[in-house]
Amino acid sequence: MRVIADLHIHGRYSRATSQSMCIEEIARFAKIKGLNLVGTGDFTHPKWLKELQETLTQDADSGLYRVASDPESSVYFMITTEVNTIFTFEGEVKKIHHVILTPSIETAIQINERLAKYGDLTADGRPTLDMSAPQLVEEVMEVSSENMVFPAHAWTPWFSIFGAFSGFDNVEDCYQDMTKHIHALETGLSSDPPMNWRLSKLDKFTLVSNSDSHSYWPWRMGREANVFELKKISYKEVLDAIRTKDKTQFKFTIETDPAYGKYHWTGHRNCHVSLSPKEAIKLGNICPVCRKKLTKGVEQRVEELADRPEGFVPENAIGYMHLLPLSEIIATALGVDSPSTQQVWNIYNRLVEKFGDEYTVLIDAPKQALNEVAGQRIAEAIIRVREGKIKVKPGYDGVYGQPIIFEEENIDTKLSKGKVQQLNLTDFM
Amino acid sequence: MFRLKVADAKLLRDMASAISILIDEATFQITPEGLKLRAMDPSRVAMVDFEWPKTVFEEFVCTEPTKMCINISELLKLLKRAGKDEIIELALDEKTGRLQVKITGKYARTFTMPTLEASEEEVPTPKITFNVRAKATTDGLRQAIEDAELVSDHVRIEADNEKLVFQATGDLMGATIELKKGSDALLDLEAKEPSKATFSLSYLTEIIKAASATSDIATLEFSTDMPIKLDFQQAREGKLVFYLAPRIETA
Repeated sequence: MRVIADLHIHGRYSRATSQSMCIEEIARFAKIKGLNLVGTGDFTHPKWLKELQETLTQDADSGLYRVASDPESSVYFMITTEVNTIFTFEGEVKKIHHVILTPSIETAIQINERLAKYGDLTADGRPTLDMSAPQLVEEVMEVSSENMVFPAHAWTPWFSIFGAFSGFDNVEDCYQDMTKHIHALETGLSSDPPMNWRLSKLDKFTLVSNSDSHSYWPWRMGREANVFELKKISYKEVLDAIRTKDKTQFKFTIETDPAYGKYHWTGHRNCHVSLSPKEAIKLGNICPVCRKKLTKGVEQRVEELADRPEGFVPENAIGYMHLLPLSEIIATALGVDSPSTQQVWNIYNRLVEKFGDEYTVLIDAPKQALNEVAGQRIAEAIIRVREGKIKVKPGYDGVYGQPIIFEEENIDTKLSKGKVQQLNLTDFM
Repeated sequence: MFRLKVADAKLLRDMASAISILIDEATFQITPEGLKLRAMDPSRVAMVDFEWPKTVFEEFVCTEPTKMCINISELLKLLKRAGKDEIIELALDEKTGRLQVKITGKYARTFTMPTLEASEEEVPTPKITFNVRAKATTDGLRQAIEDAELVSDHVRIEADNEKLVFQATGDLMGATIELKKGSDALLDLEAKEPSKATFSLSYLTEIIKAASATSDIATLEFSTDMPIKLDFQQAREGKLVFYLAPRIETA
């Protein structure tokens, strides 16, 4: 059975999250997207947990959860959360985000009882805890050996294990003796498996991809996901596939192009400065506009820690597929600014109605059939994304990357504007 | 042995201030002839080329050439404690590696500060053929740059044989500042060919503001899409020159 899972999203009690983010709506849009397993997110938040208890029912066979009002739904839920730990390591303050997976609401309650000692769980769907990363893992794993902890969006500049601002250089430095319980790393939007493969020390970890979405819209939820081929869907099988890194079970991850992520390149959002690692290093990581330190992007940080050349593929690597959200593809092809316009929705709905869900449109639908439903231009755009024949103007310092699907047309005015580049004096010596 | 004495504290303070806008750790070359410093800012976008011959000082003693690296911002903090006409004496204690800063006015104060490891980098100046040479008052330049800064973070400087133009374009607003040859602000202008180049205002503003305190007249030299050289005329044969790399728009 094919299982497409997004295990890291947020509920409505997380900051900057839509207030209408409820379980029923998440399930509705997950089905449209083609996800059949979604993390609940935020089980640490008492109000969200109460909603989970009221709206979900545990499926006896899989151990996973389904919407109580729609028990036949194809969408299962796994009880998950994300937490932020703040601690000091070798004199430096570290702020690291972690994802926690747990088999049941009961084990979630037990985890919450322990974590409540370290911070206010009601303050945010993603609570901040005054504890170290190994302490967190120890507490969580003591509740159940079936729990799992992995570092969230491992490369983003802030709040991540390898982040440029408060991260580590090694997984072992972060989790210490509890590293034995760490089986996976979440790559985050701004990095993809090939970037992570450049670090031989990461070979032993399974690379997982999730959306970290704060809304159920299909251009957010499921934009990154994990594709499993399991005998049957169950908590245990998903966990085993991640733990064992078994390629027969964990087939591939769905990735946005890493340049699409908000922190791929180095730059300054307010100064409109976006730089490749090479350019940023040349400028001493100083912004040529405001002359303050630049926000170092993921590509540059990977470059710093990499011990392998670009293009290296480890033997036991799990595959990946670069995709973009369908709404984003349609919006780009139409030249409209937002994926949420009615014009985009109309085409999106026609495609989903015809092919069943978004992933089928993106991955499997034949060009001719796409053509008939959405017209030649949209069909061509989908095929180009599927075949990796697009470019993306890299995101930086919180600004999303911009897909360039029809490069030959240069239709995007933001792209055709040209880039102002600061030269340095060594160019003239 | 190295020791110097300046009768007017402001002179030294303004110069340290001008250098500090680009550099944190300044390595001075000290010879019996005087004091020199040439360095680029960390991003290598701008360079300062500074020279004070011994004639600038009331007293200057250097028995053998040496290098001295100091945190210029820290030195500036001490120099700011000195009043306009107070006397400043700097002396390097080679044994302890500390710099002594003595301020004498109504009363005497002595500070010491550490020296740092001197940079061994020999920085050449950019090799450029300049097509435009403009001599302007630093006040006129400062006004033009401050006007441009209201609308944008960069400015295009254009010149022909008649005028020097500062053109700034922001997201919403624009500004054009024109200095005509022979006007009060633009004392002289020679252009071998019309030229234009764009520069970051964050650098240009700070350079011009800080250097204006040391000089009334500056000579600008530039060519199309090449670095600009800003030479701030100094009293007593001193030299304070800045180079700033351009910004270019790529297709």
